[in-house]
Amino acid sequence: MKNLFFGASKNILLILYLLFLAFPLLWVLSLSFKSSMEIYSGIPNLIPLAPTTQNYYSVFFDQNILKSMSNSFIVGIISSIGVVLISIPASYSLVRYKTYLNKGILGWILVSQIFPVILIMVPLYMILRNLGLTDSLYGLSIVYIVWTLPFVLWMMQGYVKAIPIELEEAALIDGASRRQVIFKVIMPLLLPGIAASALFAFITAWNEFFFALVLMKSQDLITLPVDLARFTGMEGQARTGPLAAASIIATIPSLIIFSIIQKWFTSGLVSGAVKE
Amino acid sequence: MKSKKIFCFVKRLLIFLLSVFAYGCAENERGDKIVFVSLAWQEQSLATHKSIVAEWNELHADKPVEYVQSNWNSIHDYLITSFETGDVPDVFHYESSIIVDFALRGNLANMDTLLSDEFKRDIHESAWKSVKSADGSISGAPFLLESMVVIYNQNHFRERGIVPPTFEEPWDWNKLREIAKALTIDSNKDGWPERYGASIGLRSSANILLNLGIGYGSDFFENKNNERGVVIDSVDIQYLNMIKEIIFEDKSISPTSVTQSGPGTIPSFINGKNSMLIGIGTWARQQLVENAPQELEWGVLVPIKEKNQNQAANSQTLSIPAKSKNKKDAAKFIEFFLSKENMAKLAKSDWMSPTRISLLQSDQFQTPQYGWAICTYIVDKLIVGKWLTLPGYAEWKSRVANPLFQEYFSNRMSSKEFKLRMEEESKYVFSRYKR
Amino acid sequence: MIQKKSYSSFDINQLKLLIPVLIPVIVLSVFPLIRGIYLGFTDYRLGSPIQFNGFDNYVNMLNDIYFWKSFQVGFLWTFIVTFLQIILGLGLAVLLNSKMRLTKLSRVIILIPWAMPPIIRGIMWKLMYDVDSGVFNYLLIDMGIINQPINWLNSFEWAIPSIIVVGVWGEMPKAAIFILAGLQTMSKNLFEAARLDGANAWQEFRYIILPHLKPVLAAVISLSFIWNFNTFGLVWVLTQGGPGGTTRLPMLAAYEEAFRYGNVGYAAAIGNVVVIAVSVALYFYLRHQFKQRLV
Repeated sequence: MKNLFFGASKNILLILYLLFLAFPLLWVLSLSFKSSMEIYSGIPNLIPLAPTTQNYYSVFFDQNILKSMSNSFIVGIISSIGVVLISIPASYSLVRYKTYLNKGILGWILVSQIFPVILIMVPLYMILRNLGLTDSLYGLSIVYIVWTLPFVLWMMQGYVKAIPIELEEAALIDGASRRQVIFKVIMPLLLPGIAASALFAFITAWNEFFFALVLMKSQDLITLPVDLARFTGMEGQARTGPLAAASIIATIPSLIIFSIIQKWFTSGLVSGAVKE
Repeated sequence: MKSKKIFCFVKRLLIFLLSVFAYGCAENERGDKIVFVSLAWQEQSLATHKSIVAEWNELHADKPVEYVQSNWNSIHDYLITSFETGDVPDVFHYESSIIVDFALRGNLANMDTLLSDEFKRDIHESAWKSVKSADGSISGAPFLLESMVVIYNQNHFRERGIVPPTFEEPWDWNKLREIAKALTIDSNKDGWPERYGASIGLRSSANILLNLGIGYGSDFFENKNNERGVVIDSVDIQYLNMIKEIIFEDKSISPTSVTQSGPGTIPSFINGKNSMLIGIGTWARQQLVENAPQELEWGVLVPIKEKNQNQAANSQTLSIPAKSKNKKDAAKFIEFFLSKENMAKLAKSDWMSPTRISLLQSDQFQTPQYGWAICTYIVDKLIVGKWLTLPGYAEWKSRVANPLFQEYFSNRMSSKEFKLRMEEESKYVFSRYKR
Repeated sequence: MIQKKSYSSFDINQLKLLIPVLIPVIVLSVFPLIRGIYLGFTDYRLGSPIQFNGFDNYVNMLNDIYFWKSFQVGFLWTFIVTFLQIILGLGLAVLLNSKMRLTKLSRVIILIPWAMPPIIRGIMWKLMYDVDSGVFNYLLIDMGIINQPINWLNSFEWAIPSIIVVGVWGEMPKAAIFILAGLQTMSKNLFEAARLDGANAWQEFRYIILPHLKPVLAAVISLSFIWNFNTFGLVWVLTQGGPGGTTRLPMLAAYEEAFRYGNVGYAAAIGNVVVIAVSVALYFYLRHQFKQRLV
């Protein structure tokens, strides 16, 4: 009897959580099928009175959101692969060697996470321009790699710490080079962490607004969040219907990727951030 | 062997780093394109913009325009970083009160020398006022005037037997107040009317209160010893208290609307929960045309006349950055973009008054339909706000004026305290801009 | 060959492995950061030349009521949001860790807030909070709890609670995921032993789960603390710091200084102070938690 009660209340609690977390998406889903007249009518029905697909039409054909989605996707993929590739040897070296570089990197991780991004935009832009990397999806990806690195390094070195040093020694005795040790011995053991890091980098790139706004000048190269901002207008007005439709379209890909990787992810995040 | 390798590597690294950090040595070439950053966002207006650009590109294949669609929320950040890095567009769309600051910082080309006399002659004097700096230079080509109007619900007026005012006999504030009272309905007398006579979106209160104040004779700013500062006199307090009384004593302006932005008050107008929109931009008409049901008939009121019918000139503009390499062509494009025919299309699609005299006189902007005649009438009443070109105005507005007006209008401070804090804090903020 | 060394000043083998990280980091992060930090010691104002002015900015900051107010709001916001998202995240993680029918689906659903660009999170909640067409006013009026619509995001009383709800909503899933992963690393034996000893649910949570989660929680709390203190986009979309500056978080203040008023030097100085304040807060917290190194 008591157990039954506990089980029921647990389920109710969970449902309350889900309602709180998912309701806004339902709300936007409903808006995305409403005509602008219905939105202005001020009666917030969850089920649209006269459902219309006009908003989706307008998002796909007038604003060509597919282009900016594909840009965001490219940038997300490049930066997630990039950050993983460079952080594997780096986190390995941060665990296996203890030098003043470690302290320097710790300091950098903290400062870079806290200092306002807006203030480093101009010098960053100058450097990227000298490298010919402004207005380029590669340039933007590199910036995202650098900006996700602090968190990814923090996580990854946790995984490396969990790998027994004996495994490496055995490989070295067998005549493997250090590169082989890292990529053949260490990397497979790091897979959950790699998945988590890659996902983190992907989501960060997918969501980021300010760098993309400033660095991308050409129309063909803008990313999704910048494209979405175009549905807003003077004095805080917005084209609510199309914006809602675009939001739904923009959220779905990351949710799908989430659900695929989420198992790796839950196990991945923690051992990096926590294990000492 | 090993040390040599390291040495080589370090050397290469150094050279690489030096070339990267050399500030501003690489000049960005964006070719022969004219880059045009636009703020059009409504479907109709976007289509108009794109079709004019396409027309230009057909005629000028050697100097094509690249149309970049920006937006009102991020244009500021985009421009500031552009000016700082020198990677600027050739033409951009923004508004007069802000580009005046850019001009003071030397970011903009003086358009006076770039635009043809023919073009300049046809632009209304009121519009030029909004973009002229103290030294006479011009920061942008004004093309749409953002004037404020009162929009009213004709059905509600008819139902109460109210006849809107005429050009010859405009209302004063007292009359407006009376009408607002007459339009308010509180059938169960609980002090929470089901329908308010009016709403006034005071979220960005400084802008609208300063503007409405001009006609009332309330000016907030005073010149003392060649220095502009904020002085709250009895007229200012009288003016603010009058609006407060309509809200809290008459209860005929919706108190919720006071916390909203102008556009935020439109839905309740559409739903018939208030009968007038006070101090709303002329662009609001577009929302009504698109989103109001057929049964809702609305109109624009002849502006209120207390002392006069003046308001501050504020325009949307096209400007050319000082660092643009295509200034002449950019100016040519601006004149093409704002040709008589094109400007008419732009004004109609954005529902704001055009700036060309020849257009203002034409039938399409003199028709009473949708209140165009009244919008055009206001153009002659535009003057320069005392606060325009005042260094630090932007900070004053968001740090001092908006918060204090908001607190005052939510009945959280006395007029004495308001005067004291307004003058003190204004002095503090403006003092930061004196060197 | 490979040995755990005690701190040495330098190791060429480590440098080699770190090069792929160091080059982009130095070029694209360290250099711009140094430049940004340096600006905090100048009087740089847009359109004027840059001049070193030592500690002038910090002296001015002492008398700057707006700065102190935004710092106050910043800490209030950071503490409340971090606290709520950890407590609620903990509850959610415990629920998701138990065997229920819904858990698999739930683990995807709870990620919705994170999967959205912050700009959309902001606009979406703005629509729900809307005075006339928002869902909250509609429901509350319908149920007769209020008789006048409330402007949630722009009233002095409600603005802070309203943005806190959005902040918690957006960040709680991240916290829940971290904590859930921590729970999953616990061995089942611990619970069984506790149950044999006759522990009830609360005792089990208090004496077994919590101690085990301590390091996880410390990491989650410190990261959330930094991220919450740095909130910008979300609140900018929702309130732009209004009404009357009641929601002007430090990052909004720095942004306005630099981009709206052109006082870049002063904005950078605010950034420097934030870095120091947050580092000090974290230092004390983590020292208390671990009494050992962070990395």
